[in-house]
Amino acid sequence: MDITGEYRIAASREIVWSALNDPDVLRQCIPGCKELEAKSPEEMDAKVALKVGPVSATFSGNVRLEDIVAPEGYTLIGQGNGGIAGFAKGRALVRLAEAGGHTVLSYEARAEIGGKLASLGSRLIQSTSRKLAGQFFDSFAAHLGGKRATADAPVSAEVDDLELIHHTQNT
Amino acid sequence: MSNASDIPFAKTTKYIGAALPRATAKRFLFGRGRYTDDIEVPRMLSAAFLRCPYAHARILAIDTTNARKFPGVHSILTGVDLARICRPWVGTLTHFAGMKSAPQLPLAMEKAVWSGHPIAIVIAETRAQAEDALEAIQVEFVELPAVVDALDGLNEHSALINEAAGDNLIYATQIEAGTIAQAFEDAEIVEADFIFGRHTAVTMEPRSILANFDPSTGRLDVHQSTQTPYQFQDVYARHFNLSEANVRVVAPDVGGSFGMKLHVYHEDMAVVGASIISGRPVKFTADRMESFASDIHARDHRVRARLAVSSEGILRGFDVDDVTGVGPFSTYPRTSVVEGNQVVRLIGAAYRVTDYRAALRVVAQNKNQMSQYRAVGHPVAFAVTEYLVDLAARKVGLDPFEIRRRNYLTQDMYPHTTATGYQIERLSLEICLEKLHEVMDYAAIVAEQERLRRTGVYRGIGIATYVEITNPSPAFYGVGGGHVSAQDGCILKVTQSGEIQCMISVTEQGQGTEAIIAQIVAEAVGTDIATVRVFTGDTDMTPAGGAAWACRGAGVGGETALQAGKKLKKRIVEVAGAILHCPAHHLTLVDGRIVDAQQHTRMTLRELAHLSYFRSDLLPAGRPAELTVAHHHGPSGFPFAFTNGIHGSLVEVDVETGIVKILKHWVVEDCGTVINPLLVEEQIRGGVVQGLGAALFEECRYSASGQLLNGSMADYLVPMACEMPDIEVYHVETPTRDTELGAKGCGEAGTAASSAAALNAVNNALSVFGASITQIPMTPERILRAIGAVG
Amino acid sequence: MLTTALLVTVMVNGESVQRFVEPRLSLADFLRRDLGLTGTHLGCEMGACGACLVSLNGSAVHSCLMLAVQADGLSVDTIEGLAESGFISDLQTAFHERNAMQCGFCTSGMLIAARECLAHGGVPSREEIRDALSGNYCRCTGYQSIVDAIETVAIARAEKEVGGPV
Repeated sequence: MDITGEYRIAASREIVWSALNDPDVLRQCIPGCKELEAKSPEEMDAKVALKVGPVSATFSGNVRLEDIVAPEGYTLIGQGNGGIAGFAKGRALVRLAEAGGHTVLSYEARAEIGGKLASLGSRLIQSTSRKLAGQFFDSFAAHLGGKRATADAPVSAEVDDLELIHHTQNT
Repeated sequence: MSNASDIPFAKTTKYIGAALPRATAKRFLFGRGRYTDDIEVPRMLSAAFLRCPYAHARILAIDTTNARKFPGVHSILTGVDLARICRPWVGTLTHFAGMKSAPQLPLAMEKAVWSGHPIAIVIAETRAQAEDALEAIQVEFVELPAVVDALDGLNEHSALINEAAGDNLIYATQIEAGTIAQAFEDAEIVEADFIFGRHTAVTMEPRSILANFDPSTGRLDVHQSTQTPYQFQDVYARHFNLSEANVRVVAPDVGGSFGMKLHVYHEDMAVVGASIISGRPVKFTADRMESFASDIHARDHRVRARLAVSSEGILRGFDVDDVTGVGPFSTYPRTSVVEGNQVVRLIGAAYRVTDYRAALRVVAQNKNQMSQYRAVGHPVAFAVTEYLVDLAARKVGLDPFEIRRRNYLTQDMYPHTTATGYQIERLSLEICLEKLHEVMDYAAIVAEQERLRRTGVYRGIGIATYVEITNPSPAFYGVGGGHVSAQDGCILKVTQSGEIQCMISVTEQGQGTEAIIAQIVAEAVGTDIATVRVFTGDTDMTPAGGAAWACRGAGVGGETALQAGKKLKKRIVEVAGAILHCPAHHLTLVDGRIVDAQQHTRMTLRELAHLSYFRSDLLPAGRPAELTVAHHHGPSGFPFAFTNGIHGSLVEVDVETGIVKILKHWVVEDCGTVINPLLVEEQIRGGVVQGLGAALFEECRYSASGQLLNGSMADYLVPMACEMPDIEVYHVETPTRDTELGAKGCGEAGTAASSAAALNAVNNALSVFGASITQIPMTPERILRAIGAVG
Repeated sequence: MLTTALLVTVMVNGESVQRFVEPRLSLADFLRRDLGLTGTHLGCEMGACGACLVSLNGSAVHSCLMLAVQADGLSVDTIEGLAESGFISDLQTAFHERNAMQCGFCTSGMLIAARECLAHGGVPSREEIRDALSGNYCRCTGYQSIVDAIETVAIARAEKEVGGPV
């Protein structure tokens, strides 16, 4: 099952696009991101601390941008090795559409975990992924629109996504 | 209880047949059990493993530099370190012609082949320190496409797990008997596709090993939670190039095994290797997550089967295809093909069917290894058989009891050879069937079922027959080159005060082996059971033997003890005769007293021992009292001692929630001579519950990429007290004539057909909806899907 | 990670013990490793299986879920202490006679759960006994013999109560 969400951001598509490609912005918005270092415009090394269910781990890995169509969107592919906790990987298809001076950001994300994380945390992976995706895009939208309240509640959510709604309502 | 056999069994029966509690189990009630993890030795280090998180991955590099600097770390070993001292093992046997499996080493080398495959071992002062260091080991992986579904693995474009093999097919075999095409001609045909989930043993005590190598003498001392210490003595000696006489394996108290603790595991080999390399004692105890990721799994079969039946309800032929996924390689040293082999050979075994065709394919997958676990193959074979027999009964309008009456092997047919070639000495199928009919009060529960159905309560009644392989001869493993002993050995010695110590190679994991051996020895020697002490599970102490597998403790171990006891009794009486100047054949031993033909006590065993050990000068010259005897016994005659029995299950299906409640379960079993009914009944009950777990709850669920999704006790459901019914157990005794004791096995009978009975019961309940289910576990979701309540 | 050892004082089986422990040390590991009370077993380390039950100030708790430092100042009774005090001897006898244990690994936890189940007196129904054991896994017995043993003790205690001095 994919996780989807949509945000209306009070900024032009070019500004949103440039933020989506700015390692500093990404570092601030990726939940638990400890390090993010650009290797090239399309590739970054990252260290991210995550907790899935009872398992906490720091993942070392990289983030790659593919299918880049400026300023309409890209596919973000991340994978990280969390040592004895296992691994996590995911991809998110991000699309930007202009909407009357604002930008509608939509995403479809999918996550996969392996090792101890999977055997202990698979019940929780869907809700955790949703929560993390929500946190990321909330922060991202908040970053562009100022401190707070710039992200609307998702225009649509495919699932009854209590955490995401909860999150967005609190931003 | 009626006896199906015509041979009288001379049970003198002060102890054999008595429902005695287990003397040696008392310590568990005082917290004085001693399991491997309870043992601490000086200078001991603890091990922890780094495991591959991917189902299939190439290992490019392992960097342990930082991890080595962690506090308490003694050393970190990887695949290459252990490959230097450990000869690879290959899980094939020659009688499974054409089977192939990749050689295994303690730790993954260039490739890891399941999520959980150990890659590095850290040994440190404490387990916590070892685990801390694991975090700092850096491994560079390249994830490879994984083979997850067994059928996909047979696809020619599938990824290869063992490149050298050329495909993922570990083993395939075909059986054809009679004229199957003819049997299906003009017959009524019933058929079904079955899915049997993967499940696992979940012993309460996880696997644990403490290896202690002394480099000064080359002595290896291993304490291990295992059911087969002699097998491991052989494995460690051969694979680490040690003198076997210098390898000792001790199985202390073992917290459940169920077949899971007789396989060679990578971790155990790595721990032995780490002790050899470090010259220090090294202990490893799996945590529960590691157990789920590395203890063998079981079942995982997809079976397509057809049964031809005449309109009079006479079974005419079975046609079976079984595909089973067994993990990345075949388990050592017993292989991973025995289960599938038994599935295709046991189907229909209770019935007069001569036309038979079956095909088996055993396929490699990037999942945890699969191998023998309690009732190996039987639950699958009997679920398939008994489901189809019930279906056939419905098709031709017969009651489930009636169709079995018409088709069972009967007393006039033995010895019998099944269509698949099993030789059966004698069963009591029809006796057990009628007994079950009586004890279930079948007519009453059927009437109750019909009454309740009108009120919207859906009960189901299911029965399932089993025929079980016990007391195996070397036909199982030895003939294929396996170093697995089918015989057992026993030493009996009279102590200085006239008590008896028994050192025997069958082992104890809670089933009561030590208790029944004491009963047999006391009976055979003619002494008070309170003076008999049984020792098991130490290769330094007892003769070598098969230990515990395939329900052989009572049948093979028991006969060994019986004959050893008779030998000792003869010896004691000879010594007594020499002392008393009385012909030995005029004397016998009763309750520890040497009595003459007039039943007068001439001396006690205590007095005889005192004289023998402390006043040997008083014995006739040149005739020291040899009050120690040894005896070995291996099965001869029939290759296996087949047992039989039948299960009945009464269930209630909540059609709103899909939840199945087992209301009652009955078993009528025939394991030959019952040595201790208390213990037999508890073996049956425990076995039934494991089978019901498989039927309703237990499943190792994997993701599409080969990740185990429920590797904890919170997510993997085992039966609990509140979900299980009371289970009634009844006995029929058909002793084997291959031994004097006449005992066969009973440890797997409970598991062999309880899931089949539950499957039939649930289907009986669902039949009013025109629905059926042929997948276990029968989870609520699957039940609801079967009745069309969810899509 | 906090690794400085802390001093704890725990009343264990009626004796006061003082030890320096790492803050992350579980009560189960403390009992097993530091005190050698290996009758407490670890089956899952997540509070699911009940093999590690001990009595803490009179109530059954999972010693795998508690830290040793949390037991500071409290009173812990393990199977060893309960058995040696004679407090559960009727349960032990009933378990033995009914063969209500096979491998023995769950037995300590079962006895502690059984003791708690019967602590309030009365004769619970078999269903109530089964419910009381719902946090204790046993993989060998199929539970019936354990239920039988506890029921036997409940009845015997109730009879003793009735027949005893008022």
